[in-house]
Amino acid sequence: MRRLLWSIAVLISSVCCGQTPRLPQGASGDEILKKVDLNMFSENKIILSRMIIHGERGSRTVEAKSWQRGTRESFSEFLAPARDKGTKMLKLQDMLWTYSPSTDRTILISGHMLRQSLMGSDLSYEDMMEDPHLPHLYTATVSSEEAIGGRLCWVLDLAARKEEISYFSRKVWVDKARYILLKENLYAKSGKLLKTMDIREVMEVKSHWIAKSILYKDALKEGEGTEFFVDSIVLDTTIPDYIFSKAALRK
Amino acid sequence: MINFLLKGLFRDRSRSLFPFLIVAAGVMLTVFLHAWLSGALSSMIQSTAHYRTGHVCVMTKAYSEKADQVPNDLALLAIDTLVMSLRQRYTDLFWTPRISFGGLLDIPDEKGETKEQSPVSGIGVNLLSADSPEWKMLNIRPALVRGQLPSQHGELLIAEELARKLHVQPGQKATLITSTMYGSMAYFNFTIAGTVRFGVGPMDRSAIIADLADMQQAMDMQQGAGEIVGFFKDDLYHEERANAIARDFNVANLKPSDKFSPIMGTLRTVSGLADYLDYVGSFSGIILTIFVVAMSIVLWNAGLTGSLRRYGEIGLRLAIGEETGHVYRSMMVESLMIGIAGSMAGTAIGVAIAYYLQVHGFDIGSMMKNSTMMISDVIRAQVEPFTFVIGFLPGILATFLGAAISGIGIYKRQTSQLFKELET
Amino acid sequence: MYIFKLAFRNILGAGLRTWLNVVALSFSFVAIIFLQGIYTGMNDQVEQATIDAFYGGGQFWEKSYDPYDPLTLDDAHAPLPASLEDLVKSGQAAPLLIRPAAIYPEGRFRTILLKGIAPQQNVLSIPSSLLKDGEGLIPALIGTRMAKSTGLHKGDELTIQWRDAHGTFDARTVVIADIVRTSVQEIDNGQVWIPLDQLQSLSAMPGHATMVVLKRNTQPPAMLQGWEFRSLDYLLQDLHAVVRSKRIGGSILYLVLLFLAMLAIFDTQVLSIFRRKKEMGTLMALGMTRWSIIELFTLEGGLHGILAACVAALYGIPLLGYIARTGWELPGAADTVGFAIGEKLFPTYSAGLIVGTTVLVLLVTTIVSFLPTRKIAQLKPTDALRGKMS
Repeated sequence: MRRLLWSIAVLISSVCCGQTPRLPQGASGDEILKKVDLNMFSENKIILSRMIIHGERGSRTVEAKSWQRGTRESFSEFLAPARDKGTKMLKLQDMLWTYSPSTDRTILISGHMLRQSLMGSDLSYEDMMEDPHLPHLYTATVSSEEAIGGRLCWVLDLAARKEEISYFSRKVWVDKARYILLKENLYAKSGKLLKTMDIREVMEVKSHWIAKSILYKDALKEGEGTEFFVDSIVLDTTIPDYIFSKAALRK
Repeated sequence: MINFLLKGLFRDRSRSLFPFLIVAAGVMLTVFLHAWLSGALSSMIQSTAHYRTGHVCVMTKAYSEKADQVPNDLALLAIDTLVMSLRQRYTDLFWTPRISFGGLLDIPDEKGETKEQSPVSGIGVNLLSADSPEWKMLNIRPALVRGQLPSQHGELLIAEELARKLHVQPGQKATLITSTMYGSMAYFNFTIAGTVRFGVGPMDRSAIIADLADMQQAMDMQQGAGEIVGFFKDDLYHEERANAIARDFNVANLKPSDKFSPIMGTLRTVSGLADYLDYVGSFSGIILTIFVVAMSIVLWNAGLTGSLRRYGEIGLRLAIGEETGHVYRSMMVESLMIGIAGSMAGTAIGVAIAYYLQVHGFDIGSMMKNSTMMISDVIRAQVEPFTFVIGFLPGILATFLGAAISGIGIYKRQTSQLFKELET
Repeated sequence: MYIFKLAFRNILGAGLRTWLNVVALSFSFVAIIFLQGIYTGMNDQVEQATIDAFYGGGQFWEKSYDPYDPLTLDDAHAPLPASLEDLVKSGQAAPLLIRPAAIYPEGRFRTILLKGIAPQQNVLSIPSSLLKDGEGLIPALIGTRMAKSTGLHKGDELTIQWRDAHGTFDARTVVIADIVRTSVQEIDNGQVWIPLDQLQSLSAMPGHATMVVLKRNTQPPAMLQGWEFRSLDYLLQDLHAVVRSKRIGGSILYLVLLFLAMLAIFDTQVLSIFRRKKEMGTLMALGMTRWSIIELFTLEGGLHGILAACVAALYGIPLLGYIARTGWELPGAADTVGFAIGEKLFPTYSAGLIVGTTVLVLLVTTIVSFLPTRKIAQLKPTDALRGKMS
């Protein structure tokens, strides 16, 4: 989810991009990626989101409120469904804790549990744990230009800069006018497609473009994927320190 | 004539009692062996029946196709009605729902934070009603090592070795982290009621047993269960009856187009033990054949000697003018009577002993180092319809044949020699 | 000695009756030995198959490896110490690398163990030589149970996803080079085997292994830093526990067969004593003591046992020998159930089993022969001569 949230943040970055001069024709992949990253960066944000998870027995909607500070701290609280209401997650650096009100326990999620699907979605907890700064992780080259939903995009091939990275390569489609990702494919070392993300709807918030609906899909699994909706987002707001503490989980 | 012979047999015990006892003993051994082997065959698949498949097992069609992956998202829902209808329709079985699951068992420190964690696999079964068949099926009571049995909601049994690894004592709290049937993260607080010994390595290191209602709540499976298992009330697997029940159920309930419609399978089909059952069946068939042949020879010999010991009597009867054929025929009828009486008595005693061992079992607990759940301490016999019949083969046929062969000697007796023999 | 001669002559003189008894008794001998042989053979085969397929002559585990805790797998790999490396080079040991992975049969996520084994190894019976080049794809072996539960067939392609040493996802399509018809669950259920060097290089763990399996009867190197030796006894302890529990049940069978032998002898003895009173009287009249007569009759009973042992040897040795050589064919795919036996069951007859059974049956027949003869002790020669038992 974190990854998704960052994906959203990347989209949000388009907001900033709209305010910065466009890159000249023939800009390098790295420049484009830096631009995307620069624009997506926001010190703090609070997001209200919905996730629609399609399962064997119908669909469920999970609602959550998330607070994020920088790239290494985030706190989420589930608001719906009733069963998950009050469940909280705290990510500090590389650690992930969850809190469930029914057990009043704070539990460290580690090892193979991190590989489990997040709330039954096509995302794993590990996806939440990734560093969202793409230029830190990848070098980018422009491979082509394509139109997605009528928007002209750069297609960037991202290759891992370092070994400690989940996805060895990615392909991203960057809206040339808005510097947002409209599509992203994540690949294994072998080049096999593992996950896809498609931005299906964008919205304008305070004259900025933000993704409203994203479809995230595990390419190896069957199913309709997981839909993610941003219902509201507040950028660069003040978030008290205690939110990013284990004590906040029990509050 | 039969009355006359019967009187003779009753009045002259030396003629009847010993052969009768020998036949009865031989038949009893044969009958007992058959029941014992049937019981042994059942006990070999017993842990599979008790822990995995029951004697019959109801799942959704989709679940059954991936049963080894324990796909709880495909579990049965609204099981109360289903269990009730199973209990009403198939009364000679116990029906009990179960949920298999995997997850993490998290042991908190004094601040409530993670102290120890271990992956676990478990089953949710009906632990709280006193009449639950699970106590017997899972052999829980004798396998308890420390603590006590769960008596209220939120109590959990864990494998002794796992408890040691996690450094937990009965009475301590543990949180199970697993997934709901819809994939959400599920948390549930338990109190460890006691520890048990399973007797099988992998389970001793990772298994837990929780109450079904707790697991339904934990896994968001209200009125849901992975499977509903059925056990014959005598705890023995009756293949033909199981097949008939499964057929009957599937005709009434299975809708091929609906992947969530319930389907019933038998231990044989669900467990993948079909070949194994055939194999062990043929093994015990061979044992039984060897035994019946050997016993037939023993009893044939008994019949043979039984007639020989009446050498003098036959001589006398021939001497006073009884027809050879008549003597021979009367000997045959007598041996038949002894064979039938001995076989009936032997079968009755053999079945009685076997039945006792079927109900009470033979407790080998004292010969085992420790009681465990998976390896039962109690070995049982199993009385089957064929058990009632098998003893008659050596009992009647062999005795009769023995007498028939030795009786041929009657025809060889020379009248002139008879008086000479009688003089001595 | 004359009693022995007399006893021997007596039982031979009884003709058909003696031989019937002897044949029945010999059946007990052969049946007990055969059934125990089958039982021991089955257990031996289970043990042998498991040893051949996975346990070898013991295993060295990387110190953090715990087969029952999948959480340990991420870190359970290390380069081989020099002494193990030497054993591997000389073909005395085979390294295995085990990685947690996921497959997606029918589009559903399923965790598995991805195991790397050297195709050229000859330590384990896993037919790793089948892991030949899969025409660009990684060749993989799976067991029959795994094939059944995933619906995979030989030649099918399967996508496996795992993480390398740096945590980077990798996913490759492997081609099922063959389905290994095995009954050893330890190498089958939830596992996919691929060539070791490919798994090492794909996982960025060159030269690493999770465990090293020694060849049978290889002397394990002394304490190795970071590795723990698991002896065969340790690895087989679960299996032995099950065998022990089954043995007690099996001994009931043994007992029933002994009863059969007892019945055969008892019947004969009681009849002999009943019929041969005049003979006893005559022997007493000739000066033989009661105890000598008891000795004679007991010896006759016991001789049945000895003759039975000889007869049993006459047909039993070729018969049981034949079965031991050719094995007992099991129906269909008896091993699909994970019961570790091959397609044929080979009974094992140990010297202890044969000698023990013979001695036991002889002992039992002698005791049973003796019991009815105690009546002789009260016998009066005068009554005996008239055919009466006093």
